[in-house]
Amino acid sequence: MKNKVTIIKEYTKGIWQSNPVFKQILGMCPTLAVTVSAINGIAMALATTFVLVFSSFIISSVRKLIPTQVRIASYIVVIATFVTIVDLVMKAQFPELSKSLGPYIPLIVVNCIILGRQEAFSSKNTPLRSVVDALGMGSGFLIALFMLGSIRELLGSRTILGFQLLPDFYEPWLVMILPAGAFLTLGLMLAFFNNLSLHKKKSDNDKLIAKYLKTKTAADFVIEENK
Amino acid sequence: MSTITANPVYKLELTSSPHVHSRWSTKQAMWMVVLALLPALISSVIFFGFYQLLVVSVSVASAVVTESLIKYIRKREITITDGSGIITGMLLGLILPPNFNLFFTALGSIVAIGIGKEIFGGLGYNIFNPALVGRAFLQAAFPVQMTTWIKPNMAVDSVSTATPLSAFKFDSIFADISNMFIGNIGGSLGETSAISILIGGIFLIVIGVVNWRIPVSMFLGVIIFGGLFWLLNADQYPSPVFHMLAGGFLFGAFFMATDWVTSPLTAKGMWIFGFGISLVVVMIRLFGGLPEGVMYAILFMNAFVPLINRYTRPRIFGEAK
Amino acid sequence: MKTVIHMLLTLTFIGIVSGGLLSQISEWAEPKIEEHRKAETARAIYLVQPEAKSYERITNVDFEVYKVFDEMKNSIGFALPYEGNGFQGKIRLMVGLNDELNKLKGLQILEQVETPGLGTKITEENFLKQFLNLSAQPMVNWVKAVPPEKQNEIQTITGATISSKAVVIILNDGIKKLRDAEKDGGVK
Repeated sequence: MKNKVTIIKEYTKGIWQSNPVFKQILGMCPTLAVTVSAINGIAMALATTFVLVFSSFIISSVRKLIPTQVRIASYIVVIATFVTIVDLVMKAQFPELSKSLGPYIPLIVVNCIILGRQEAFSSKNTPLRSVVDALGMGSGFLIALFMLGSIRELLGSRTILGFQLLPDFYEPWLVMILPAGAFLTLGLMLAFFNNLSLHKKKSDNDKLIAKYLKTKTAADFVIEENK
Repeated sequence: MSTITANPVYKLELTSSPHVHSRWSTKQAMWMVVLALLPALISSVIFFGFYQLLVVSVSVASAVVTESLIKYIRKREITITDGSGIITGMLLGLILPPNFNLFFTALGSIVAIGIGKEIFGGLGYNIFNPALVGRAFLQAAFPVQMTTWIKPNMAVDSVSTATPLSAFKFDSIFADISNMFIGNIGGSLGETSAISILIGGIFLIVIGVVNWRIPVSMFLGVIIFGGLFWLLNADQYPSPVFHMLAGGFLFGAFFMATDWVTSPLTAKGMWIFGFGISLVVVMIRLFGGLPEGVMYAILFMNAFVPLINRYTRPRIFGEAK
Repeated sequence: MKTVIHMLLTLTFIGIVSGGLLSQISEWAEPKIEEHRKAETARAIYLVQPEAKSYERITNVDFEVYKVFDEMKNSIGFALPYEGNGFQGKIRLMVGLNDELNKLKGLQILEQVETPGLGTKITEENFLKQFLNLSAQPMVNWVKAVPPEKQNEIQTITGATISSKAVVIILNDGIKKLRDAEKDGGVK
């Protein structure tokens, strides 16, 4: 299985095919809580990606040394170490950002995406593949959080990344920067993306059938029917 | 209660037993509700002026357009004539504050139909009362505009005022009961005039469109729960009569809680539902941060309806307990 | 037995490495974080006491309060950070008071989690400027929907009555606490 999946595929799968937010529905807590603005979404996703990449690298490097019985404990210690590093660095270098993300930076420890990738991927794959996978998942998370944050920021406070895009007469929908707005937006986005992949699946199937039919001549069908 | 006809030609009812028979078809009942809402609409025009007709019209129009559009996109039969979209639009319009922004009205209506109803699959599948979903959205989106009330003075000029509930909540002032009965108080369009709601509501009960158990259980509930606190301390807590006439309680009891789709099916369930709404209303009004809680109370109890139905389901004769 | 030792060794090793790494980082970060915290307090103090040039923490009371001085090192009042319950959560504010504790010099909201767009208006200039040179005799009071008449009144924000009241209540609590401490033997 390992060699069948190309490195590029390892990366891209995190963005679409198994996007952590839209497909795996993981990491919902930060997804819903911090996306009141696009910048918060980006910061959260970058912090998560940092933790994800480094923990994946460490864990996949030492995966054969960790006894199965204590693997979860070991993963958590490794993840917690990187989360604490991010938290301290952010507090020291970006105090404003750290304030607006609040308790959600320390909470990256319990983000299911990270522990999920260690258990599902890094513990079975080489460091290179694990890092690529982590980067993919991180990018997927970044895209999702940026989209969610942009929509909520645009409708809830007229801006994206602080730039005003909607005119002054547009009355901001406060609901969008409240928790209810997060659930509404995420729900509608999930519906939209599910719908997209349903359509894609259908057209893929049609293509496959068309391809199959091309390989057969009319005579084949007669024979098949006669059987 | 409502039947979904799979094929309009054969009119086959595809529901499992037991079948509850109703005097009215869904379509007829819906139009009766529209009729019953007219007194409330008229009173809103009398107290707040003709602009309010425009608010309700915009609400109805956007509801119908949204519903048709979604049905079209989903390639389903367009069902304007069943009146449900019109009712949702009317109900939403009547629970908005006077002189409400028309763009916001349309937005609320779109959310009511889109997120309140069609996303669940349309009429008959929605969990929450669509009009209240629309209002809850507007309340969260535009809290200032949704709590700006004007004095009811035939719309000569718009002077802002407080509703009896917010006067009680923030300043401990009790409004005059007779004004509340006629509707000469600040509040949402159709919610202020108790008398016109009663006319419409009793009409619906008499002709059998609405089950009397839900309004009655809500009244009893508010008398019990509201009365309890009133007896404890009449200076601090308002009387049950105040509770009944204030805010959206009457309107909710007759038109919102009784929605066929989002209320329980069994008699026992309806009692539980009504008492539950009253309890939550009294709790929110007396101890919550917001002055009014009828909308949230009904939405909250809507969520329990499937559970209530499940536990109050009539047992088949001979079935083991 | 062998696996148990293996497990213990692994966890101990990871723990040691992680602990060592974190202590290094923390040594680098803590002074910076402390600096930010101090800068923030200083900024708030100078905002609520516009004439202040320096300040000093008062140590003989069990709560946080600062004595504020002008250029000549004369005491011009106090800066008091205080917190209490708002509409949705804690509100933390910083209030500047004169030496007699009967007049406000200014007010800043340090932390709050009020409703965006409504309760959050308590952090805006329009609301806060009402507290400039406001009398606190006997206490600060509020009025609704009409401009204040008395020296010790402020007007609540339309649609955010509860948050506005909460600010005043927290303020009064803090002033009372400071006055009590003053009565009990003074603050140094």
